[in-house]
Order: sequence, then C-alpha cells, then structure tokens
Amino acid sequence: MSARILVVDDDPALAEMIGIVLNGEGFDTHFCADGALAFGAFRETKPDLVLLDLMLPGLDGIEVCRLIRAESGTPIIMLTAKSDTTDVVKGLESGADDYMVKPFNPKELVARIRTRLRPAAVVSSAKLHIGDLVVDAAGHEVKRGDQRINLTPLEFDLLLALASKPQQVFTREMLLEQVWGYHYKADTRLVNVHVQRLRAKVEDDPDNPRIVMTVRGVGYRAGAVG
Amino acid sequence: MNAQPAAARTPVALGGRTWPRRVAALWRSSLQFRTVGITVVLSGLAILLVGVYMSVSIGNDLFQSRLNQVLLESNRATTAAQGILDSSDAADRVQVQALLGSARTLITATSSSRQIAVLRVPGQEGSSVAPQDSSTFGESTDVISPELREAVRDSSGEQFWQSVTLSNDDGQEYPGIVVGSQISVPVAGRYELYIGYSLQDAEGTLLFVQRTLGIAAAALMLLIGAVTWIVVRFVVTPIRVAAETSQRLASGDLAVRIPEKGEDVIATLARSFNGMADSLQSQIKKLADLSEVQQRFVSDVSHELRTPLTTIRLAGSVLYDQRASFPPATERTAELLHTQVERFELLLGDLLEISRYDAGSVQVEAEPTNLVHLAEDSIDSMRSLAESKGTELRLVAPGGHLNAEVDPRRIRRILHNLIGNAIEHGEGKPVIISIDSNATAVALSVRDFGLGMTDADVAHVFDRFWRADPSRQRTIGGTGLGLAISLEDATVHGGWLQVWSSPGEGSNFRLTLPRRASDMLTESPLPLPPDDASFDDLLPPALPATLPAVPPSSTTLGGAHV
Repeated sequence: MSARILVVDDDPALAEMIGIVLNGEGFDTHFCADGALAFGAFRETKPDLVLLDLMLPGLDGIEVCRLIRAESGTPIIMLTAKSDTTDVVKGLESGADDYMVKPFNPKELVARIRTRLRPAAVVSSAKLHIGDLVVDAAGHEVKRGDQRINLTPLEFDLLLALASKPQQVFTREMLLEQVWGYHYKADTRLVNVHVQRLRAKVEDDPDNPRIVMTVRGVGYRAGAVG
Repeated sequence: MNAQPAAARTPVALGGRTWPRRVAALWRSSLQFRTVGITVVLSGLAILLVGVYMSVSIGNDLFQSRLNQVLLESNRATTAAQGILDSSDAADRVQVQALLGSARTLITATSSSRQIAVLRVPGQEGSSVAPQDSSTFGESTDVISPELREAVRDSSGEQFWQSVTLSNDDGQEYPGIVVGSQISVPVAGRYELYIGYSLQDAEGTLLFVQRTLGIAAAALMLLIGAVTWIVVRFVVTPIRVAAETSQRLASGDLAVRIPEKGEDVIATLARSFNGMADSLQSQIKKLADLSEVQQRFVSDVSHELRTPLTTIRLAGSVLYDQRASFPPATERTAELLHTQVERFELLLGDLLEISRYDAGSVQVEAEPTNLVHLAEDSIDSMRSLAESKGTELRLVAPGGHLNAEVDPRRIRRILHNLIGNAIEHGEGKPVIISIDSNATAVALSVRDFGLGMTDADVAHVFDRFWRADPSRQRTIGGTGLGLAISLEDATVHGGWLQVWSSPGEGSNFRLTLPRRASDMLTESPLPLPPDDASFDDLLPPALPATLPAVPPSSTTLGGAHV
C-alpha cells in the first residue's frame, strides 16, 4: 500500500504541483488549503506524513504542527518561504521533524519524504542500553524500568543512532546524514533543536543530561549505561 | 581590601600636584569660571590703581595740612617767645636763664609740643651770661640735621622744616616734623629754636583710611565676582544647555530639544536650534522610513516570489525528467527552463541574504570550528567543477591552532565563493588554498594564477553585480552578489576579506578571522601579496577591507605594480 501524504498549503498551484510530483513517485496525496481545517483533515485521512506550509490562512503552520504533535508522532516536514533563524527554530520546536525552504527541488523533497517514511534500520534484535534506558529497536520502544517513554519516530531514530554506537562521538553532520538523510552540509540547528526535544522527554534533568551527552565543540554521544 | 591602597592614594594626588592642573582644566573647560576670573582680575587691577592713588593723595593732603598747622603753631610760638624776650630787661646770667625758661614754657604752651630744642647759634662771641643749649628731644636730638641748622642759622625771621623720625622716651619711633627758626635772646645773642611735632595722628588717620580702602576694595571685588558669576550664569546656563543638547543630538538622540523661554536672544537661539532639530529629525526619519520600506520591500518580494518559483521549479523538473520523450526543440526548452530556474533561485537567495544584511537582521551562530576541515569539505564539494576546468586544488595547512569560533555556514559560503571564483578565473592553473593561524587569528587565502585584475578592477571587486570583464562568458553563473555577501560574512565575524591582484600574475583573496568573536584583529597570519609576487618590497602593509566600496589596501596594491 502506498504511503499517504497530507499536503497543507494554501497555494493551489503549488499544492497541485507537489501532488503531481508525489503521485509520480507513487505516493497517495491529500490536500488541505486552510490551517483551521488542517487538523480535521489529519484526523480524517490519517496520513503517514504531513507536508505543512508555515504560513497558512486560518491557523498558522506552527499551531497546526503543535496540534498534530500533541496527538501523534506522524512525521511532519515544514515548507517555509522564510529561512530566517527564528521562524525555522520556532517550527522545529513546535515539533516538525524537518523543514524545506522554498523553492526546493523535487528530488530533494522526495528524498526527505522517503527518509522520514523508511523504518529505522534495525541494527540488532537485542535490546540496547543507554543511560538508564532500554531501547528495543525491533519493538520501537523505549523504557525506563517498566515505564514506556513516548517518542516520535525521529526522536527514536536519534536515540537509536546514539545507543547503537555507545563509544562513538557523533558530530552534528553525522547525525544529519544518519537520521535525516542529508548527504551534504545542512542546517545543524535541526540536530540542536531535536536533541533538546529528545532530552525534554528522556532526561530526568534536561539541564544536566545523562542520556544524550554534549561533547563540546564536536557533537553528542550516548551517556554511560547505568 | 584591594581598593584600600587606591583609595588612600587618590586624595594625595588630588591635593598635591594635580591642583594647578585642575584649575587649568577648569579654566579651559568652564566658560563661567574663565569669565568670572578675567572680570575679577581686571577690576581688581583697576581698584588697586584707584586705591593707591587715593591713598597717596590723602596721605599728601594730610601731611600738607598738618604741616601748615605745625608751621602756624610754631610761628605763633616763636613770635610769642620773641615778644617775651624782647620785652625783657634781664641782664645777668640767672635772669637770662629764667627768661629763656619762661620763653620755653610759653613755647611749649603755644606750640603744644613737648619737644623743643634751643641751641645757641655757633660762631658768636662767647658770653658768660648766655645759657647752655637745651633740648627735650632726648635721644632724637640728632634728627636736627646740620643742613637744617645751617639754613636756620643763615636766615633769621624765616621758618624751616624737615621731615624726621622722632622717638619718645620708650624708644618708640614715629614720623614727625621739626620746624626751626631763630630767636634772639637779650644779652646772650642769637639762638636756634627747634620745635618737633609728631605726625602720629596723621599717620593714624592715613592707616585708617588705607585700611578702609583695602576692606572696601576687597568687598567690591567679592561683589564684582559674585555679580559676574550670577550674570554669566544667566547667560552661560542656556548656552550650556544648548551645547549639551546639540551634543546629544549629534550622538543620535534626535528627540532632544532646548526649552524655549522668553523673547530674548537666548530664546531665539533655542527656537532656531529646535527648528533645526525638527527638520533634521523629520529628514532622518523620512530617510529611515524609506530605507526600511525599501528593505522590507526587497525582503517581501523575495519571499513572495518563492512560492510561485517553487511551483515553476517543480514543473520544470517534471518536464526535465521527461525531456528524452520530447522532440529536440522542446527537450532543449525543458533543459533551459531547468537551468535558468536554478539560476533564478540562486539569485533570489543571494538577494534575500543581502537584504538581510542591509536590514541588519543577521545573526551569527558561532561554534568552535576547524577551518581545515571546513576547507577540506569545500574543496571536496568543488572538486568536480575544478576537474571540469582542469584545475588542481591544493590545500596548504602547516597545522597549529586552527579552531575558531565562527558560523560555519557563513565561512563555508565564503570558501565556496572564493574557490569558485579562483576556478573560474584561474585559467586551468592550480589554485592554492592556504590556512595558517596565530594566537588571536585564523587566516585562509585562496590564490590563483590566472589573468589577475588591474587596480581599477580590484577597487570594485566587492561591489554588487560587478563583473571584471562584462564581455567575458560566465561559466559558473554566479549571481554577481557572491563577493559582496562574502565581505559581509567576514565583517559580521569581525574579520577581514582582502584581495591582492596583479594582471598576468593572478589574484590572492585572504580571509582573516578572529579566533574568538571578542578579539580584535591586528594582523593576519598569512601575507596578502603572496610570497611569489614580484614586488613584495613595494607593498604597504595591508589594511582591513571593511567596506565594500574601496578596500584601501587593494587599490594601492594593484597600483604598485603598474
């Protein structure tokens, strides 16, 4: 069954063109042109991925993103005409997994969508340990003791990447390549924002992280098993 | 604890050597102090002159009137004494002695002086009845000078006087006048009569007058000083307010105004100053508004263009992917559409970046970055382009502390630009990328051995949309904003982007960045004119290029060769 993609964009020509490109790649597309209706459309169509424009009539993209994130971990890729730092960071903080600055190239769009839809590569069936957490790669589950921690697929991928090589220090570029599928230098803010979101969920004290450790000037690594 | 020695030192310094310096500084800086000072000094001089004149003239007058009185009294005494002497018929020594004694008593009574000397004129024939010389001058009998005695001796019937210093029995000295005249004593012959008068009263009066004058002068000067201070204050205060206000205006506080009071010249000054400030403010506001509108317009246009451009781009790509199935002309059309949309997109991105710099809304996201890694990445990404032009890219990095706190995205953009330009203008010859560092700075230079530029070209190389040679074909298809953005990127880091170029010898672009954002650059670890340049010695030291217009070093550098 082909993946369902909800395109939320108020520009009909662009939405239609995205539809043509995605259909050509074998995706099933649904459209919504109004921010206020976007959340209803999301519940109705239950898409596998949402392409969300930042500037929408009715309700702005960041609010829509929050509504969806509150209910589901469905991958969201933001489409934005602004590459200004504050807008991008706001979008990522509201829960978007990735963003694309208009005008984007169709191959890149498709590549990003595929990265977000592909299941995380299972390194081993064994359960991985990171800090005091247990990551079940096959079961897509993270537990602290008996308590299950809810992560979005992206956050899970990020944690899994770190947990699978506990000795390795990951640069932001390596994480961008492994988790987001970028094969060239991209915006490292993606990594920073998502590490913050991940820490907010898994750390006991996000200001004093024990699971996702910062290696100053280099990147991140997994916290010691304990 | 640390502040203690400093606090102890300060008062010493203030009270000691710096006191005259502080007055000098006050003199230079305070119009009020200066005006009051000049007024007090000048009127003090005038008062002093008047005081001296008054004191001298009163002194003279006092002396003169005392002298007249003294002469009158002495004359009266002498006349009275001569009367007694003339009317006497004393003949023997005792009688003459008594007569002279009574004459002396009379003189004392009429002259109101107790200092009287009766001296026999010398040179007369000796007389047994002539009484001895007598004097009540005591110690100061010597003050009767020989000249006076001679004058008195030679002329009978006339009075002579002399200013002298008298002393009383206690040895106390005081000014006085001695008046001398002749009297003739029956039988005994001619005698000189000297009467001493004290000027103590006159001197006392003079001292009193002088003291009064001095006190009046001091009071007057204080008064003048105070009045001047108040008057100058009335005038200077508005001027100081005006000066402070114009200073604040000059430093950018356009809303300040001088309070307008009254109708006088100060109020006119305030009104015209405020009028000037008003028009200045409105002009600047107009310009700022215009500039803001323009910047927002560029930014808005760039944003608004993005959505349709995305659609066009997607459409172009779809067509481009299917071009093999089109007839040749349509296939080429699809290709052209594809490449030109890409170019348009680059241009739009650069325009937006420049407008962001113009609007001052650029944020540097600095992180510790290894410049060698950054350069390696950039070289890797440019390798296919370099190979297509037959250019060899060489990296020279001697090692050292190559980390710097920079925004890697911006530095990567600079590198991409510089290397791209070097490949495009390098004529297929090698391009050398050098990196070096010192304690405070990291430098990176990109050297090509291509055509190079004249000094006129070098002066414009950072200008927007400027091309070295408009007739030359563009192969890489830059937007014309690359170096302008690179210069902004370098400047926003507090760094330098400089160029050396010489026709026929190629160009060298050097980027120097402070290791930490707070550091100030003083020198670059790499030379700007490369070591292989043919005229090293002629070159002036490189200066930072901070403005896009004319980097000073670059113009001179080009000129040195020509």
